[in-house]
Amino acid sequence: MSLLRICTSTASVSRRSAVQVIPQLSRGVTTEAAPTVVRKDEEKSGLGDIAVQPTRDVLVADVISGAPRELHHRSVRIYQPTRNTMQSGSGKSERWRIDFDTLAGAGRWENPLMGWASSGDYMQGTRMTFKSKEDAMHFAEKQGWDYYVQHATVKRIPPKNYAENYVYKPNTLRIMRTK
Amino acid sequence: MTTIPARLASLTRTSGGPAESRKRALKLYRDWYRSAPEICGIYALSVSPAYVRHSIRQRFEKNRNVTDQRAIDVLLLKSRQDYQETMNCWKQIDHVMGILLQTQERPNKTFLERFYEGLGVDDNVFIGKDEKAVIPAASGI
Repeated sequence: MSLLRICTSTASVSRRSAVQVIPQLSRGVTTEAAPTVVRKDEEKSGLGDIAVQPTRDVLVADVISGAPRELHHRSVRIYQPTRNTMQSGSGKSERWRIDFDTLAGAGRWENPLMGWASSGDYMQGTRMTFKSKEDAMHFAEKQGWDYYVQHATVKRIPPKNYAENYVYKPNTLRIMRTK
Repeated sequence: MTTIPARLASLTRTSGGPAESRKRALKLYRDWYRSAPEICGIYALSVSPAYVRHSIRQRFEKNRNVTDQRAIDVLLLKSRQDYQETMNCWKQIDHVMGILLQTQERPNKTFLERFYEGLGVDDNVFIGKDEKAVIPAASGI
């Protein structure tokens, strides 16, 4: 039971935390690109607790693709979709998705006549699916999108036992024992 | 107008370095520049060759700061293909006037400017919601 409690606590913690990932890249699109920081002196002095990732060579796909300039610096979310709660299967929950954050000005309005939900943002309904988190991150880097990665939720299968229904429990009355 | 399909065709190439890609870009720009009167002629455009040159210059200026060698190669190839399609008369007039020559920057007009013009005024404007004021994809960074 204590193990179960630990599992639930970690699950709730990881659900709350969305870690901002700062990519270290060399995107050679413009001349005003920030120079890559050399941290060799830190390593020598013993301060380098942070693992220095080698700079990767990332193709500037946004220049070639002909995407509009407003699209170059969108912030996107990389996450693993949760299981569909209406179905028991865990299908499609292993893949990673990219979707676009809502605009700051919220280009959304309601149609005054029919009440349709409308949006001025042409990327609001777009989402992309990838096999792994790294694939999604690589794609976002190539497109020049600012991305953040949400931790995958820790999946927990609650122990279910028919005999548990008849076990005497003095303190709490729990109606849903399997939750 | 009969054209030879292989006319102005170019192979995919990889530049050896920045000097070579610069040379190729200049060559491409000169080809575009010199063919401006011909473009106006074969498509019977109502614009002057100077305007065509200006638009093409804008296209080149947009990619001036690209330093990625692979991206430059792709851009050069795409522009070469575009040049071939234009000069062989494989395009319609609208392709030339719209995609090739029309300015790509959207004018950032205020609400009142658009209101006076009477363009883009619809029901939402009158109830105080101006959806065109929101530039899509500007996520407030």
